[in-house]
Amino acid sequence: MQFSDQLEKRFAELQTHYPIKRSALVPMLLYAQDEVGHVSDEVVHEIAARLDLTDLEVRNVVSYYSMLHTKPIGKYNIQVCTNISCMLRGAEKVFDHIRQRLGIGHKQDTPDGLFHLEEVECIGACCWAPAMQVNYTYHENLTTEKVDEVLESLRKKETQ
Amino acid sequence: MADVNITVDGRKLTAPAGTLLIEACKSVGIEVPSFCYYPGLSLQGACRMCLVEIAKMPKLQTACTTVIQEGMAVTTASDTVHQARKAMLEFVLQNHPLDCPVCDAGGECELQDMTFSYGASESKLIDFKNHKDEEQWSPVVFFDRPRCILCYRCVRVCGEGMDVWALGIQNRGALSLIAPNQDDHLECEECGMCIDICPVGALTSGAYRYKTRPWEMNHVSTVCLHCADGCKTTLGVRRQGSGNQIVRGDNRDKSGINGDFLCIKGRYAFDFIEHPDRLKQPLVRKNGTLTPASWEEALELVALRFREARDTDGGASMGVIGSSRTTNEENYLLQKFARLVLRTNNIDHHRTADFPAFVNALSGRAHATASMRDVLSAPAVLLIGNDPTYQHPLLAWQIRTNVRLHGARLYVVNSWPIKLTRQAKEFLQIPEGAEDKAAAFLAGDDSAADALLTSKTTREKLAGFREKLQGEQNLVVIFGSELRGQELAALVRAAARGAKYICLGDHANSRGAADMGLYPDLLPGYLPLSEAARFGEPWKSVPQQPGMDLEAMVAAGKERKLRTLYVVGSNPVARYAIDPFALAETFVVVEDLFLTETADLAEVVLPAACAYEKSGSFTNTCGDLQLLRKAGDCEGVKPDLEIIVRIAELMGFDIQQLAPLDPSGMRADFGESRGVQSGEVDQQAIWNRRQGYEPRVSPFNPFAVLKEIQRVVPGYNVGQLELLSGNDVHTATAGRAPGKTEADRFILPSHENLFTSGTLGRYSDVLNRVIEARLRLPNEKEKEIAAD
Amino acid sequence: MNVFSGLAALAKGMAVTFKEMLSPTIVENYPDGPGPLRGAMFQERYRGVHVLQRDENGLEKCVACFLCAAACPSNCIYIEAADNTAEHRISGAERYAQVYNIDYNRCIFCGYCVEACPTDAITHGHGFEVATLNASSLVYRKEQMLAPRPALQGQNAVFSISGEEQLKAEREHGGVGRWIE
Repeated sequence: MQFSDQLEKRFAELQTHYPIKRSALVPMLLYAQDEVGHVSDEVVHEIAARLDLTDLEVRNVVSYYSMLHTKPIGKYNIQVCTNISCMLRGAEKVFDHIRQRLGIGHKQDTPDGLFHLEEVECIGACCWAPAMQVNYTYHENLTTEKVDEVLESLRKKETQ
Repeated sequence: MADVNITVDGRKLTAPAGTLLIEACKSVGIEVPSFCYYPGLSLQGACRMCLVEIAKMPKLQTACTTVIQEGMAVTTASDTVHQARKAMLEFVLQNHPLDCPVCDAGGECELQDMTFSYGASESKLIDFKNHKDEEQWSPVVFFDRPRCILCYRCVRVCGEGMDVWALGIQNRGALSLIAPNQDDHLECEECGMCIDICPVGALTSGAYRYKTRPWEMNHVSTVCLHCADGCKTTLGVRRQGSGNQIVRGDNRDKSGINGDFLCIKGRYAFDFIEHPDRLKQPLVRKNGTLTPASWEEALELVALRFREARDTDGGASMGVIGSSRTTNEENYLLQKFARLVLRTNNIDHHRTADFPAFVNALSGRAHATASMRDVLSAPAVLLIGNDPTYQHPLLAWQIRTNVRLHGARLYVVNSWPIKLTRQAKEFLQIPEGAEDKAAAFLAGDDSAADALLTSKTTREKLAGFREKLQGEQNLVVIFGSELRGQELAALVRAAARGAKYICLGDHANSRGAADMGLYPDLLPGYLPLSEAARFGEPWKSVPQQPGMDLEAMVAAGKERKLRTLYVVGSNPVARYAIDPFALAETFVVVEDLFLTETADLAEVVLPAACAYEKSGSFTNTCGDLQLLRKAGDCEGVKPDLEIIVRIAELMGFDIQQLAPLDPSGMRADFGESRGVQSGEVDQQAIWNRRQGYEPRVSPFNPFAVLKEIQRVVPGYNVGQLELLSGNDVHTATAGRAPGKTEADRFILPSHENLFTSGTLGRYSDVLNRVIEARLRLPNEKEKEIAAD
Repeated sequence: MNVFSGLAALAKGMAVTFKEMLSPTIVENYPDGPGPLRGAMFQERYRGVHVLQRDENGLEKCVACFLCAAACPSNCIYIEAADNTAEHRISGAERYAQVYNIDYNRCIFCGYCVEACPTDAITHGHGFEVATLNASSLVYRKEQMLAPRPALQGQNAVFSISGEEQLKAEREHGGVGRWIE
């Protein structure tokens, strides 16, 4: 399996960071997921081969981390924090709102493949709670209106 | 290392620095419970059962990961500790089903024992336990997920111990589970170590599943009859039907030469015993077909024809082929039978390594052979040829463990990168079949280097390899049948400074068969024929000229000069692809378990007992002598020892000369124990009385023969006490130069792998199922791909 | 005086006699009593020939755990276990007893097996007529001890019923805790 030149370069550099090869496993999986969209069997096999690991060892790690997906997910991964700070400031309301708005639940995708919803643990944005993370972008001090705005803008961006 | 003093439960103890607390406690008899800790495997700290109180530490500490420090004060049995362990058990039992009555581990389960000692058997939860169905991962491995307590022992023994890495842990926290390397099944060496090491019944054996319970069995430790490594295997035996039936093989007490290890064959491949094709009645050829006959009829016919042939054409017209799977006693007796009763040296066996050259090269050097235990402790190991992972699984385990735990340096010389190269410090890849040249080069012959050059092997590399080896002290040199004659001798002579050697044969008693003199030109202990007299008065009549080897016997058969051929536990027709017509005029007698290709040609076929059904001794390929104990019964068969003695008796030979009566009256176990158990008439005792022998001693007593072997065969004079207590004793090689030196061209490696074992393997249901499963799975995948 | 005290004593004694003559008999008239039990009567906890019970689905309760055999002080229980399969399901668990023999030559009816049983599969019935002239017929097989299938469930399991029902069972199936086909 061949990754993009940029990713290949990144992988090559990653290898130099660690004294042992397998330490590069988690960052490699994350970068590969960003490019491919999810950690497919092919990705698992390829990374295992590059790091001299067995497929099983890579799969052990993938299954440990909830941020690594083995199946394709929606393009925008909406991760709503419901830990204590966010919860106190109404995260559950926000989460319910998104659920109703998109018609999907925790770890589900919209039929058009645009959104994936997840209820996650603390994302480190307690000062601006409630917060959510869409792919790598943070949206803070959420209200139901603000959430609608975010979803709308994302949808608009797609249709353009 | 300096010793460290600590206090455990108010008593002072001392242990070497670096010792783990749990081990230090164990050494003075304080048991700290644990699930995840296993000696020899990496530390896990997962089960938290070994929590102990250590003074000045705020919280309880895990004894399995704590290294002892000077002045440490430890409490292992306070209320706090007890409470903590009980709480941990409660956690473990949260989702553990209470199906002990059906669980295979019930009675041998560590969790059961702990719950028994700490309580906590009642859950505080009101929720239902999370049930998952049992999964079958391979023909021999079943996984019951709710029973798993996540101690990770199986994962570590499979990875670190076996270097297979077929098991892993997926998900995390309460959802963690043990997963096989393929989606829903295992692709591994099927050794069953994971099942053995599982403290509960999460991993269970496909062969033993739901058959019986541990306390219902008697446990008989004996020696595995498959490969030449001589692992101790404990057979679970149950009284059933006509006698004892073997229901399980495992490594129960781990006291053997093999420590923790046992491979698939030792663990599961005893089921050939019950194969429906097993011969249970003597067969005599009548009108061209083999028809069942009584023992008396068959034996009398054999004795009659043997006597006729001997008395008319002499011993030269008779051949004997021994076995590398029968016991030392039987082999010794067989060659004695050939030489004293048949008066011939025409005796041979299936040779799988050049033991005569090996012993010859070592002559005059004491302590020059390595035992299997030495491989585990040697600082450096050189392996030339062979692939121990598949042909000598225990040897491979010993090497791997030595490298892993003691940092041994492994040097591998092979024509392809065998699996053990993963542990190797240096690997020398040589062209195929150039092992002898490599040996010559390592022995100092620079001209041999030309034949070793490959794309990966340069002259510099060769020289460097040799230099490093020369720097090694107490090296253990291991080589297979690739090395013979001069090259073997050269290698053995070249290395010095405490080097020890192992020559690898292929069958359970290949070494024993060679040691016991199943050669046309060598007596037991590799002594030349001229020294026959040292075996006693009757041996003076043994012919001085070497007899015929197997090839010569077949040639004689073609010329119609071979009148009789007595084949014991061997299948030369298939092994050496002998033309069946060569033996058309020969009276062939075969003793075997199954109707082999050779037995098919025979005039008389005698059903023999296998090594699990008799007592005796085996010598493994390193020369470690161990006792076999009778485990199972098979109706209608007789041990080869008895058959040989009975034929000799019917031929009119004074059997006291053949099989000496043991004056000490050590108990024999041939038929006697079974008679007592099943309440039937003790045929053996009656026979003894009729012959005027003392009760409990019989000419079929293998210990009497073993005593004679110990007395007369050089190297076998070892302590009997050690043997009887179930230990292995290393036999020394003869202290002087006997035998021959030229390369042995009859050596034919058996080419067995992990899942085959000659005729026995063919009749083992478990092995066949494993082989089939391994063949089938990739194909199915290919089919799926094709369908897409 | 002597005459009177003698008569009084006689009357007192005869009073007991006449009283008992008129009250119903409590003697068991076995084996000449009525019904298939021929007058035999049991305490409910009487330990007779064993009954191997079935569960509410008619599957055997015995899962061949061998605990009864382990508990047995006279070593009279012999079991061979086998796997249940989807097509061939005998018991509720993964395993069932393919062979279950009790040797009544040796059994001392101590009830340890019943106590040891984790699934309440083995119970003592009220069968007591086990005497025989042939010792080998005292080795009872599973089929001889097994409670009947659900259609007849409970009727032969004398352990749990009494009185009328018991007599009815006796009449219909002809054995106490011993199923004779």
